[in-house]
Amino acid sequence: MQATRTTCPFCLNGCTSGVDWNGVEHKMHYFPDAEVNRGRLCPRGNSANIVIDHRERLCRPLLDGRDITWSEAEALVRSWLSQTKPEELAIVFSRARSVGEVRRMHGLARELGTPNLVCGHIEPENSFNHRLEGVANATLAQVESSRAMLLVGDVFSTSPVASWRILDARYADRKNRLVVIDSIRTRQAGFAHLFVQVKPGTEPFVLVALAALLDPEGVPGVDVDRFASIAGISRDTLNAAAKMLGPEVHGFVGSAMHTGRVFHPALHSLASQLVAKAANKPFVGFREAGLPFGPMRFADLRNAMVEGRIRMLFWTGGLFPYSYSELLPELSKVEHLVATSIFIPDPPVRGVILPLTAELERASVGASYWGTVERAPLASPLSGTREFSQVLDWFGRAAETNEILPKPASASEVVAMAQKAAGFVRETAEWLLIGEKKAIGLRGFHDPEDRILVNRSDAAKLAVSDANFIKVQSPSAAAEFRVHVSDTVPAGVLAVGVNVHRNRALFPLAVDELTGDVAITPVPVSVEKTARVSMAHSENPSVWI
Amino acid sequence: MKRIVLRLDYCIGCRSCEAACRSRFKGEARIGVAEVNSTTLLAQGCRHCEEPLCAAACPFQVIVRNPDTGVVRKSDFHCVGCRSCALACPFGVIDPGLVRHMSQKCTLCSDRPEGPRCVTSCPTGALQFVEEPEKVEKRIGARYLSRHAHWRRT
Repeated sequence: MQATRTTCPFCLNGCTSGVDWNGVEHKMHYFPDAEVNRGRLCPRGNSANIVIDHRERLCRPLLDGRDITWSEAEALVRSWLSQTKPEELAIVFSRARSVGEVRRMHGLARELGTPNLVCGHIEPENSFNHRLEGVANATLAQVESSRAMLLVGDVFSTSPVASWRILDARYADRKNRLVVIDSIRTRQAGFAHLFVQVKPGTEPFVLVALAALLDPEGVPGVDVDRFASIAGISRDTLNAAAKMLGPEVHGFVGSAMHTGRVFHPALHSLASQLVAKAANKPFVGFREAGLPFGPMRFADLRNAMVEGRIRMLFWTGGLFPYSYSELLPELSKVEHLVATSIFIPDPPVRGVILPLTAELERASVGASYWGTVERAPLASPLSGTREFSQVLDWFGRAAETNEILPKPASASEVVAMAQKAAGFVRETAEWLLIGEKKAIGLRGFHDPEDRILVNRSDAAKLAVSDANFIKVQSPSAAAEFRVHVSDTVPAGVLAVGVNVHRNRALFPLAVDELTGDVAITPVPVSVEKTARVSMAHSENPSVWI
Repeated sequence: MKRIVLRLDYCIGCRSCEAACRSRFKGEARIGVAEVNSTTLLAQGCRHCEEPLCAAACPFQVIVRNPDTGVVRKSDFHCVGCRSCALACPFGVIDPGLVRHMSQKCTLCSDRPEGPRCVTSCPTGALQFVEEPEKVEKRIGARYLSRHAHWRRT
């Protein structure tokens, strides 16, 4: 058996992974000599062989759910293209597309004359594209040798393998310090010397205030007390954090953003970097994927679809639109050309769906936190699939052009953004639903996330325990969850995992007032106890069976 | 005699061990995750007890401890899926859920030269495969878990 070796594509940590092919199936292979991960892999990385061999992988083109041939699909698409004006065509790319492919799509959009090129990866983490001037990216060596670390959000769940170096640094010396800022008391918070639990979505205010304490001259004009009170923490807590993260101690600042936990993604990114700059430390934006923005924003695409200005949508990449079911009424109005490597049990949109080779089946060049990585194909392409470049050829043969990156912001711009954001009044709701980040990807990314975290006092108020179920109604959807009484969330806050589409549908797509980008924010919900009771998860072990 | 040991200070509860085990055994998870408190999930693997209660409870003597290697193994061929082992395990490590009509029992990946797969894949190196004497020094976690009244399988 020969093991093939590549770089894991499921997040940007750049772990080396591989598979063995025994003639029947693929099995994971670990490479202890790998520099970044030493053979270690997170649950998602461990599921690579499941993805390759998944029995629901699409392997033939579909038209409105029925099989067609590749030549029929090509003829159909060319016919659509000839009948569609450039301004009526929108191209949406999402994760699973390489940097080179995105650059070619930029060139293609320019050649076709359409300004409607959109990044469909609208997870908050993609806002780490917003950069602050004068902030360097941390290296592995800097993380390993850190003596003072600040983590914003759940970095350990976003990139589990990266956590190993952070923990090594944390334990290397008793004087080393780890500060965590988050709205949920996660496992990561348990490792912190100082855990700052803030109100959901208010991390940027804490960060800007912290930056002002660390560097009053570089970050002027910040009302520290006001920002601290918005986040629900005391100035003493901020002073303690500032003392631990002083610019004289070397370390790094890491930040992660999660679906349903951030109100202003761009501000979150910039405020994290502002602390790094004020504390004289390098920065890492931990994320599963990082894609450049397109010339058109996703929120504008949505408006264009509602107004009937888009007639044909060519989208390619990861989960969109399956992840955002609240868009389906708008998506049903346009013709679709979908090019994807994902398994699709039940296509929710009409149009042509083309099966592509998966990330794990093709060579590509990508980025990681620690630099550029090259990926080799782990497996031969699934029979019936084609390379994405072949589909792009139907549109034209434009050369690659550099993608658009936002202009780096200055410290004063970030402070101004924070002050503007502080002026937005949020609805005060009895219950606020937020997203819980999980690293799990067992069973090929299809874990049932049927659990909701409920604070102990809230559980008493609702008269529920771990055996009960509650129905959560948000402005966009409703779902029933098994209660998990926990102290990790504050009173009035409920948390659900957001890996499954059912849970994501609870979070309507909002627009960030600061940038106009799409934001998936904490959402006010109503809660109702249902009659359903689960004995399987009772606290009494004798009734497990 | 080597054993899987968990360094509590490094386990982040990511369930990579469980994913690796599922991947190796086609959907079976022979290592689980236990909830010590509301924020702490810790990997829960079979201890391969010196006097395994699961073996004593098995009505068909399917579970046997190898005196040389210390590995407690179960014969899938003879297992009838009665779940007696799951009930008997004092650590709650054997999942009462059946896969292909059988309970699942860790074998320390005896047939894998590199050692248990969960250990290889552990992102933080919290799971280690070490000799017995080393294990004795690191028993604090096991004691903590076995005495903790509130941990439960998730």
